[in-house]
Amino acid sequence: MSEHKPRKSPEKKMPKAFGWMAEYQDENNLLVAARKVRDAGYTKTDAFTPFPVHGIDEALGIKPTVLPFIVLSAGLTGLATALLMQWWMNGVDYKYIISGKPFGITPASIPVAFELTVLFSAFTAFLGMIALNNLPKFSNPVFTNPRFDRATNDRFFLYVEAKDKYYNRESVKELLSGTHPDSLDEVIEDTTPSELPRPIILAALLLVVAGLIPAMIILNMRAGFSTSPRFHVFFDMDFQPKKKAQQPTTIFADSRIMRPQVKGTIGRGQLDEQEPFYLGYDPAKMTAIDNKNLSVFVSTQAAKLPDTSAQTPADGSPQTAPMTTPPAMAPGTPALNLPWTEKLPIDANEETMALGKLKFETYCAACHGYAGFGDGLVHKRADSLAQGYWLRPTSMHIDRVRNQPVGQIFHTITKGQGKMASYAASLNPKERWAVVLYVKALQKSRNADIDDVPVDLRSKLDEVKK
Amino acid sequence: MATIASTFNPREIDNTDDIPGRRAPLITGNQTYGSVTDIVCRVAEEPQPMLWYILFGFSSLTAITFLGLIGFLILTGVGIWGNMNPVFWAWPIVNFVFWVGIGHAGTLISAILFLFRQNWRTSINRAAEAMTIFAVICAGIYPGIHVGRAWLAFWLLPYPSLNLWMWPQFRSPLLWDVFAVGTYASVSLVFWYMGMIPDLATYRDRSKSPLRRMVYGVLCLGWTGSARHWLRYEKAYTLLAALAAPLVLSVHTVVSFDFAVSQVAGWHTTIFPPYFVAGAIFSGFAMVVTLLVPLRAIYKLENLITLRHLDNMNKIILATGSLVGLAYATEFFMAWYSQNQYEGFTFMNRAFGPYWWAYWTMVTCNVISPQLFWFKKLRTSTFWMVVISIFVNIGMWFERFVITVTSLSRDFLPSSWGYFRPTLFDGLMFFGSFGVFLSLFLLFCRFLPTIAMSEVKGILSATAHSAHGHDAGHGHDH
Repeated sequence: MSEHKPRKSPEKKMPKAFGWMAEYQDENNLLVAARKVRDAGYTKTDAFTPFPVHGIDEALGIKPTVLPFIVLSAGLTGLATALLMQWWMNGVDYKYIISGKPFGITPASIPVAFELTVLFSAFTAFLGMIALNNLPKFSNPVFTNPRFDRATNDRFFLYVEAKDKYYNRESVKELLSGTHPDSLDEVIEDTTPSELPRPIILAALLLVVAGLIPAMIILNMRAGFSTSPRFHVFFDMDFQPKKKAQQPTTIFADSRIMRPQVKGTIGRGQLDEQEPFYLGYDPAKMTAIDNKNLSVFVSTQAAKLPDTSAQTPADGSPQTAPMTTPPAMAPGTPALNLPWTEKLPIDANEETMALGKLKFETYCAACHGYAGFGDGLVHKRADSLAQGYWLRPTSMHIDRVRNQPVGQIFHTITKGQGKMASYAASLNPKERWAVVLYVKALQKSRNADIDDVPVDLRSKLDEVKK
Repeated sequence: MATIASTFNPREIDNTDDIPGRRAPLITGNQTYGSVTDIVCRVAEEPQPMLWYILFGFSSLTAITFLGLIGFLILTGVGIWGNMNPVFWAWPIVNFVFWVGIGHAGTLISAILFLFRQNWRTSINRAAEAMTIFAVICAGIYPGIHVGRAWLAFWLLPYPSLNLWMWPQFRSPLLWDVFAVGTYASVSLVFWYMGMIPDLATYRDRSKSPLRRMVYGVLCLGWTGSARHWLRYEKAYTLLAALAAPLVLSVHTVVSFDFAVSQVAGWHTTIFPPYFVAGAIFSGFAMVVTLLVPLRAIYKLENLITLRHLDNMNKIILATGSLVGLAYATEFFMAWYSQNQYEGFTFMNRAFGPYWWAYWTMVTCNVISPQLFWFKKLRTSTFWMVVISIFVNIGMWFERFVITVTSLSRDFLPSSWGYFRPTLFDGLMFFGSFGVFLSLFLLFCRFLPTIAMSEVKGILSATAHSAHGHDAGHGHDH
């Protein structure tokens, strides 16, 4: 508190005078004196009181403050900030639906808008008061007189500054003496050394240097390169003690973290898939089949597929395959013995045929070819690249496939076979049946004779030939 | 310098009677400006009484235990509490609402009573504001540790996150709460600090040791008491009061939205905002009475915090207590009048269900006990007012318990009904918050001005010149 703001050369002995300070016991004496000083024309005056004295503004001629207008603009800024923030954050930048509530500025924006208005205004009222008062100011010439300590206790002071344009040392002294002060002192410059004590300077320097360290670290990290992983203050769910699909585990005997469906259970949403329409066979007839086949069926359902999936590569044309036929591919494979649906469960009309053609050409023709000979573009390209290691996609016109019931073809599309993936995700059951219909039509078209053509259309066939 | 107060027995003076045409004095003992300074500064300048050390030792130990328990909670998880399906909002939220409610008295006294020119606020506003801030600190702890991963509590704030790429949900009352309580805490702190600046300057100017002088000098920002500074200070104070007055009412309104905006029966009601605000003022004033009665006795402040001040506060407790009682009755009426079966069930369940004991404790403490303040003998007896104010605070804790737990434990699905059982940690962590609260309050008494000296002197000046008539109301008038 005792340091002084302007630095003075040490040889200057005579302290500078800043003005006169008169002390009063009572606020009324102060008011009377203040009016006198004001009427004498002095403007660089001030009063120091332990509490706000009524009427002192008028007695000294102090003008009202602009603080309310600053606070008003801060409040409006707060309001605008809150509304813009909510509109942009929840309505533009990170828009998501919650309880069907609308986006943008709604009644739900009012509480935050109100709070931010008050927050901005209140801090501006406080900080604005501090700033307009030029605080904090720890050095002040009025502190040099120990009597002044009572300005915050029980005494009232009137101060005329030397900066006033009418200031004259003697006349001001005379004027103030005429107001019957308890004491009258000249305010003089603070002569105590203005330098801060050395330890405080050192401590401040250390603090500044220490404060720079985090900034330097951040700058270094921003500018430099590193191959080590990001430094995590908080892990933010980056590392979680959980297993992901296909990972091994020690919890289960089979070391697999993905658990197969428990035998004899039906998963949520799988109940309607127990119908022939979704399966291609009739599970109700399964009881009639021997237990060995049943176990194969269950394991197929449980995605274990140890046997059936291994057989299927041989469904490609065995004559071109250089690899030996897998041992499980024996005649009379259990999968063939399922109670396949023999009758197409959808109507075989033009519309269904068109749907089947569309889907076949979209999904199947790439490998199987447009005519179903297993000579699609994928085959041609792969065959040229793999040079003999490529297994040709199954032709639909070989006897084995031609003799398959519709249910079995449907099952192949649904579950996949060999290299062929399941198309259950791409085609819904109706579309799959439509594809089955189209496949059956293709097979028929490549193995038909003239008796298959209706009599009245045979003449048309001749026209096509020409 | 005046030493009147030390030899004076305040119990002999009763300034609670108003003779028609003449106001009874607000402060007693023929105080002068100097004697007011002496009485207040003595609290911090003289060695603290033995009782201070005993209380502080006890409360700081409790506070440290509380901090240790928070550490244990963060390391272990919220499972150490009794929060269990279906009551996931249990004691932590009850304690949060309890403390936020208590934190209403301070700013209400400072702001709303200031705007209504209630001069008697000047002797009690400082301690009440301090109490407000400490209560809000205690309140803020609970949601912070209830979020589970307490180290991520800053996710509540709308900051541009590099990892999440998302913003908070501004359509949720829980986020409004963050803004309401955050604004309230910071504005109350500013209000409290700004009010203290002139008094800190008094502390500075009376300091004997250079260190004390420097610390208080820095804290008071070099305050001189200049008339120009006072002008802007008073303007800022009036503005803050005008801003804080609706803010006080908004805080518990928003807290009540946490409940009222949901659809749980017993919560989904429009009466909640006014009902919560009345309850908050009720509990806050009760806490002020609980603290001020021992404070004025220990530090011999009876001449400044007179029976008249306590009497006025008790009247407010009586008024708000009756409001709260009316709100309870209205809730029951609406449950019947709406003919909503869920509402009806909820309120019958509150009064006669498994938590009947909590409900009737609440009614006894909140509705019946403050009615005793109709008797002036009880209203002006320091012993009885402390007893009743403690009852009120017990009742207000139970009110929040009843609202939170009874509604959650039996909601729309009878299959998920349950009965909440607190654990030892629930109890310890509620008790521990009182340690934090009391420690902070004791430190405040020891180091900071407990009474707003400059404001009391302003009132003293106004009363001394009451010959001026009506405009001699308050030092803050212009």
